[in-house]
Amino acid sequence: MSAIVRVEGLNKYFGPLHVLKDIDFEVAPTEVICIIGPSGSGKSTLLRCINFLEQPDFGVIEVGGVRVEAHGRGRAYRHKIHELRLKTGMVFQSFNLFPNMTALGNVIEGPVTVKGMDKAEALELGMHYLEKVGLADKQDEYPSRLSGGQQQRVAIARAMAMEPEVMLFDEPTSALDPELIGEVLGVMQQLVEDGMTMLTVTHEMGFARQFANRILFMDNGRIVEAGPPAQLFDNPKDERTRDFLGAITRLGSHE
Amino acid sequence: MPTPPIDSAELARFESQADQVAALQQHKQQRFQLWVYVSWVVMFAFLIFAFSGADFTIGPFRITTISLDTEFIMTYWEFIAKGVWLTILLAVLSIALAMVLALLGGLGRLSKFPPAYALATFYISLIRGTPLLLQIIFFFLALPQLGIRLPGLWAGVLALGLNYGAYMTEIMRAGIQSVGVGQREAALAIGMTQPQIMRRVVLPQALRLVIPPIGNQFIAMLKDTSLISVTGFVWELLWRAQKVGRANFRSLEALLIAAVFYWIITIMFSAAQGRLEKYMARGERTI
Repeated sequence: MSAIVRVEGLNKYFGPLHVLKDIDFEVAPTEVICIIGPSGSGKSTLLRCINFLEQPDFGVIEVGGVRVEAHGRGRAYRHKIHELRLKTGMVFQSFNLFPNMTALGNVIEGPVTVKGMDKAEALELGMHYLEKVGLADKQDEYPSRLSGGQQQRVAIARAMAMEPEVMLFDEPTSALDPELIGEVLGVMQQLVEDGMTMLTVTHEMGFARQFANRILFMDNGRIVEAGPPAQLFDNPKDERTRDFLGAITRLGSHE
Repeated sequence: MPTPPIDSAELARFESQADQVAALQQHKQQRFQLWVYVSWVVMFAFLIFAFSGADFTIGPFRITTISLDTEFIMTYWEFIAKGVWLTILLAVLSIALAMVLALLGGLGRLSKFPPAYALATFYISLIRGTPLLLQIIFFFLALPQLGIRLPGLWAGVLALGLNYGAYMTEIMRAGIQSVGVGQREAALAIGMTQPQIMRRVVLPQALRLVIPPIGNQFIAMLKDTSLISVTGFVWELLWRAQKVGRANFRSLEALLIAAVFYWIITIMFSAAQGRLEKYMARGERTI
């Protein structure tokens, strides 16, 4: 099957800092990928380059048939980035719900404002996704009155309501109290079961082991090692992978 | 003044310690408020007394207070009072213009488009670099020399609005900047364009934040409208007070009347401002 995401020769600098080095990989439809690695290894930057929240310096990103080069100017180029963003949905570590809108308002904002969807139709769609994340009863609540776990579930519904082809999760549970992590992982598990293509930067090794088709281990701006969870977790080939996995098991993460 | 504690018999009426602590705290607060009110009344009474015209001796001291011409006050207070509406109208129209200019200025200050940034900074520098009084006189006296004759009210609104707009630009900029970068990223991620992000996400949040400081500016502007009196074309409070004061050699009385009206207006709008701030602080809601 042809890839739904292609990253070719991706390089990114923050000033003199070379944070992504010659990244190449492909993602097949319905594939679930977890990106792990030490902090500062470039995991989040990689994810953010895929929907151009960070402008890559070199390389090509392709999502759902939309190919965008790292360099470009003008209206046509900006339109391509816009198209690419419509193919992706993103969930952030800090939720970033719009505080001036209700839960339902957050979910229908994209369909109404971006896609120009009819309000009644959008409300129906919005309720569908709020139900999917188990928060239909919170439709009229403002984010400030929701728990972190509930906010993140609304954020997932907001991204899903744009019906993207690929979902990007940037440490979706890192800002949550431990007892709230489960409800968010539960929603993500449901997306996996629905066949969503997902790229997730995470420290939840349990989730990665159980649901990922492939793990990418990053260190120092490179993908050091990639493979199915059984191979990467139980039989890592690279020394850096072994060091990292050793360190997190010593710290007793949620295994 | 030491605060006598509530006696223990009274405290014993409360069952839990928490209720007792709360009662003590409330008691302290109420006493503070009470003394503030009492002091205000004393100061106010002193002010009234100072202008009462009373003249008497206590032992070796002769007490003389300022005596006002009550007949003048009774005759002319209404004429001066008629300026209240124009003063408020001037301030309302000017703050409206200033808000629009401040928003444009704030967006310009944050723009990555050089001419927009330059225009905003140029405007701010020019207005802040010259006195407000000069700007007001300019609109009334210098423009007509170029053949531009604006009606008095509009010249005043233009001068005040332009001036306050420049100062309020920084308020708007701060409000816009205080909306976190995560909000913009979340909006970009669902495919929103820059103008959509501004309109739907950033400005609603920024405006909520800038309403209290803009309220302060409005209250300051209420009094700066008096500067327009120097032009002689706008019959607002101070102009009316000066006119009848000079004509009757009763400037003291006339100015006091105007001062009282300014004070009352300010107290009223400050109270409204306080309520607005409380309302805005209540939670996340759109305006």
